Formats: sequence, structure tokens, C-alpha cells
Amino acid sequence: MSEFDPILLAVNDLATTFQTAGGPLPAVGGVSFELKRNETIGVVGESGSGKTVLTRTIMGLQQRTNVTVTGSVLLDGHEMVGASEMDKRALWGSEVAMIFQDPMTSLNPVMRVGKQIDESLRVRVGMSKADAKARAIELLELVGIPSPAHRYDAYPGQLSGGMRQRVVIAIALACSPKLLLADEPTTGLDVTIQAQILNLLDDLKERLHMSVILVTHDLGVVATRTSRIIVMYAGRIVEIGSTREVFSAHRMPYTRALLESSPKVSNDPHTRLVTIPGRPPNLLKLTQGCSFAPRCSYATDRCHQERPELQPADEPGHAFACWNPLPKTRKRTVKTT
Amino acid sequence: MNRAEPLLKIRDLKVSFGMGHHEVQAVAGVSFDIFEGETLGLVGESGCGKSTTGKALMRIVEPTSGTIELDGVDLCAQKGKALRNIRTRMQMIFQDPISSLNPRRRIKDIVAEPLDCWKSVTGTERDTVVSDLLVKVGIDPQVYGNRYARQFSGGQCQRISIARSLAMRPKLLICDEMVSALDVSVQAQILNLLEDLKKEYGLTLLFIAHDLAVVKNVSDRVAVMYLGKICEIGPSNTLYEVPAHPYTKFLLGAALEADPDSPVHGDVLTGEPPSPMNPPSGCRFRTRCPFATQKCADEEPLLSEVAPGHSVACHYPLNVKTPQKRAPRTTT
Repeated sequence: MSEFDPILLAVNDLATTFQTAGGPLPAVGGVSFELKRNETIGVVGESGSGKTVLTRTIMGLQQRTNVTVTGSVLLDGHEMVGASEMDKRALWGSEVAMIFQDPMTSLNPVMRVGKQIDESLRVRVGMSKADAKARAIELLELVGIPSPAHRYDAYPGQLSGGMRQRVVIAIALACSPKLLLADEPTTGLDVTIQAQILNLLDDLKERLHMSVILVTHDLGVVATRTSRIIVMYAGRIVEIGSTREVFSAHRMPYTRALLESSPKVSNDPHTRLVTIPGRPPNLLKLTQGCSFAPRCSYATDRCHQERPELQPADEPGHAFACWNPLPKTRKRTVKTT
Repeated sequence: MNRAEPLLKIRDLKVSFGMGHHEVQAVAGVSFDIFEGETLGLVGESGCGKSTTGKALMRIVEPTSGTIELDGVDLCAQKGKALRNIRTRMQMIFQDPISSLNPRRRIKDIVAEPLDCWKSVTGTERDTVVSDLLVKVGIDPQVYGNRYARQFSGGQCQRISIARSLAMRPKLLICDEMVSALDVSVQAQILNLLEDLKKEYGLTLLFIAHDLAVVKNVSDRVAVMYLGKICEIGPSNTLYEVPAHPYTKFLLGAALEADPDSPVHGDVLTGEPPSPMNPPSGCRFRTRCPFATQKCADEEPLLSEVAPGHSVACHYPLNVKTPQKRAPRTTT
């Protein structure tokens, strides 16, 4: 595939199923979407909605004996599903890299951070020791770590959470990937540090011409930093569209419920929050119908019996999976001020 | 609401921890009041001492100095039976709902534990009280009462913790990051439940959290902590609309609103909080503050009132002359 193909990643009918003692567990099912070069897409959903499994499957990390992956993940012309470990190794780092959620546990505590960065440079790019060190210091500087030459010799335990996440980002960027998968990169960080890390990711994306998949449970994180949003529920995409469209003209009741149940800074004290009754479904006991139907106030018999597929909305690229969608012409979600 | 005499009066509370030869002052002189029936939100970044303050109020950690008066009785001077007696009037709910319950105990016994400790009820009364409490928090005692804590999800465990904390009919509830481990949909359920119970039981709350939106939604007044000290305290709406302390302003600027039209905030606070082992001289925020001057390094700003009920510890408070939105900062 040529460098000029605007589509970097094409996911088609991807399904990841875990074989558990309780039966097959469809963690991700029927997921299809495309990602352009230099685009940031957000993936939102509650815990257990399959966000993390989706990114791990795209990365090709989900391949143990008890997992079945079907469908296709075409990354810059390379098929990730069913690729051998050798083939995937060739792609990790230079094509796709991942930032994991917990900066405390994704670093080796007994290895100097500099060594953890230049490891991939030496193995993957084949740099000499000195070159790799120089490049690692450059990367530390790129991610905004003060006195990088000094920090090169630090152990992860000597750094704060925010600094550690910067190191994790530096490792991910070491081989200039075309796609960066960021799985909850700021969860567990303080708000001021979160803002710093998100700004950094935004800035690096522009400078290095990467595409980013930003996975989060926090709608505030994706609101201003993505061009499109995927909303996941029970392992499936229930709504996809441009960020503005998903926030202001969503059609899927779950999207609205998710937006309305988040507390807002503009709310008055003691504002009653809109809640979604019940809890997310048990993935082992999914029914034929829409997974959200048991919690949905618009659900009809059809919702319980037949699963809705993604159908296009008015705006190109906006699609939702619902039999009884919210009306088209609506104002923005009710904001209590 | 009785504004005359506060329910809880904290004066110059200090908590230090020994670290080898060093000493860390986690809470470095905090004073505030909580009036009966109100909710005071306590926000700040991790490590600012907000949880330690909450724990010190319960005397789970021992305050180094200062006074904590509940209804006129100084908690720090109490010990033994007297302290235990006072503690029944204040309860705490912790951050991690799952680890704050014993996984191998039945939930009805967990909820009844405070009653058992005090032997305050008879056997049959105990069952009724426990059933009532579980119903109040939205758990069916007939179906779930005999199940073990490990069989419940995070949201349900938090409901059970709330039921346990209400068993002794406390006046004051200290909620330490009680919703931060929960998903948004569950978080909304728990926050609504808390509001309902607060009304029903006439509770007074100290709500400790790092999430500014959550705190705004539940609190009448908010206190902002930075590195062991309160830098601003005031009514929620005023504090969020016209923050007087630069730190509050940056904290609010960094909070992300779930709205694509919200401006992408240009001014992000640089750097990280300094170590509490070696706090900066003068104003503790001066190392990250863009407005800091020599005066900030030399002289520690004290909390002073800028408007009724709104106090700030800053030599150059923002938005003070013209208390309106986006008022230009007046430099003196």
C-alpha cells in the first residue's frame, strides 16, 4: 500500500472471544472502522465494554490459546489478525506502538529508564550503544522531561507518575510508529498532569504525523482532542461519528445516558444526575437483541429480540446501532446551568 | 441551617509523618468549619494532604497538633471510651469499595458490625435495622443479605459501605474519594443516593475528591488544598466562577468538560507539586505560580476573607476588585 493511501488502519468485522469455563465470552464483536493518517479517534465506554481488548487485538497482543480472533485488522497494508509472532515483531515499534494505562506497572522497576528506551532502538533499529543513548536522551527531551541526560540514569521509582507516563510515551515513540494506541493514558494522574500529558500527545501527533487511538472512560478527555469518537457497549460499537456530532446530535440512547450521567463543572450544587438503571450486561449471557435494551427506556420487543446493526445517520460517517433512535433534530444535550 | 456554631471546628491541624531522619508534614496547619447540614468539598491533587486530613478527623492517623472540635468537644483531647463514644457520631467511607469490605463475610453481618460492637440492639432489632439500611441503599436484604461481600460489584460494595456507615446514625460522614473508582453511570447512582440519604438522615458531609465536577455537584462550599495547606475556601458557585487563588484557577482550567465546544485551555500549569519533605518558603504554590514575586517567597500568605465566606491565602488574589466573570486581574 502506498504512503499516500489516506487510510492507515482498516478494522473489519473484528471479533475477540475468550474461551472461559463459563463458555465463550465475546469481549469484542463485529467491530469495523477506519482510521485516517494523522487522525485521532477516541474510544469511549464503561469498564468491561471491550475498549482495552479492542486495542490489544489491533496491536496483535491477544493471542493466547484461549482466545479466538476473527475478522481483519489491516494496518498500512499488513494484516495483523493471524500474523505470526515474527511478522508482528517487525511491525511493533515502527508501525504501531502502545501506551498502557498504568505507568507504575508498565515499566521495569529495576532497570534504568534510559535503558528501557534504548532497548528497542538497539534491537529494532540496530543502533550502536552510543547512538541509542543519544537518541534516548533526545526522546526524553521530546516528551518534556527536564534534564534528560540526568534522568536517563534514573530508575522508575525515582520518578513521579506523570514523569513515568512521559517515559512510557518516549518508549512508544522510539521507533517512530505510524499508529499510537493510547489505552487510558491519563487515568490515575492528577488533572493538571493529565492536561500536560494530553497536550503533549496532541503536540507529538502533529509533529510526528501519527494517528492516535485514544481509549478512555472519561468523555472530557476525548471532547476536545479527537476528530471522531467510537462509543462502545458490551463489546460492540453502538455509535460512531465526528466528535461534535456524537456530542450534540447523538442518536443512540446509551450515548445520551453516558453524557448526561457525567457530573459537570457548570452544574449547581446538589444537581440531580441522570442515571442509567441497572448495570452493564454479563457478556457470558448476552441475548439475541440489543445489549443495552434491558437498561434502555425506549426499548421495545424488537430491541429484545433482534440486534440492531450500525446504520448511517444524516451526517456522512455518523452511524448508530438502534431500532428506536433519538429524533434527528435536537438541540445539544440539556445543559443545566 | 444553623450558621452560628459549626458542627465541626478544626483549628491549625497538623499531621507529620516520620521518614527516617526527615519529617514530612502532610497537613501543615489547616483550619476550617463545617456547619450542620452542609457539604464541604475538599479538593486538591494527590499528595496534597486531603485524605490525611479526613483520616486525622477520625483520628485514624494521629494529629501532631491542633484541635478538632465536634459539637464543642475536642477530639484530640479524648481517649479510650470517650473517644469511641464520639466516633459513633462520625463515620468514614473509603475510596476502594471492594477492599474496604471483608470479602469472606456476609453483607448483613458487615452492616451490623457497628451495632454488634456497641451491643446497642437485640437480635431481632438487629435484623430489622440491617434490612432497613440495606433497603435504603437499594439492596434487597431478602435476596442479597446472606451473600458474601466478594459477590458484589464495586458500585454495590460502595452501597454496602454506605449502609454500614449509617448504622450508628452518625451526624458527620467523611467521604474519601468514594466515587473515584466507579464508572460514570454507577457514579451518578451513588451520588444521587448520597444526596437522598443526606436529606433523610440530616447528615453533614466532608466530601474529599480530586474530581472538580463531582465536588461541584455535591458541595455547598469547597476548600482547595495544596501541599498540606488550604489555599482557598468559599461557596461552590463563587469559587468555581471567580476563583481568587491562582492555583484554583489553574486547577479549574485543567478540568476537562465533556463538551467539544469548551475552549482548549492554553494555560496549563507547568511542573509538578514540590515534595512535601522540603516545601518552598513563603507561599507553597510560588514555584509553579506565574504571578509569584519576591514577597511570595519571603512571606507566607494567610487565609483572609475577600468576600463574605470566601477566603484565600494569596498576596495577589485574582478577581477581587470586580467580582464578575472574566474580570481583568488587578495588579497592585
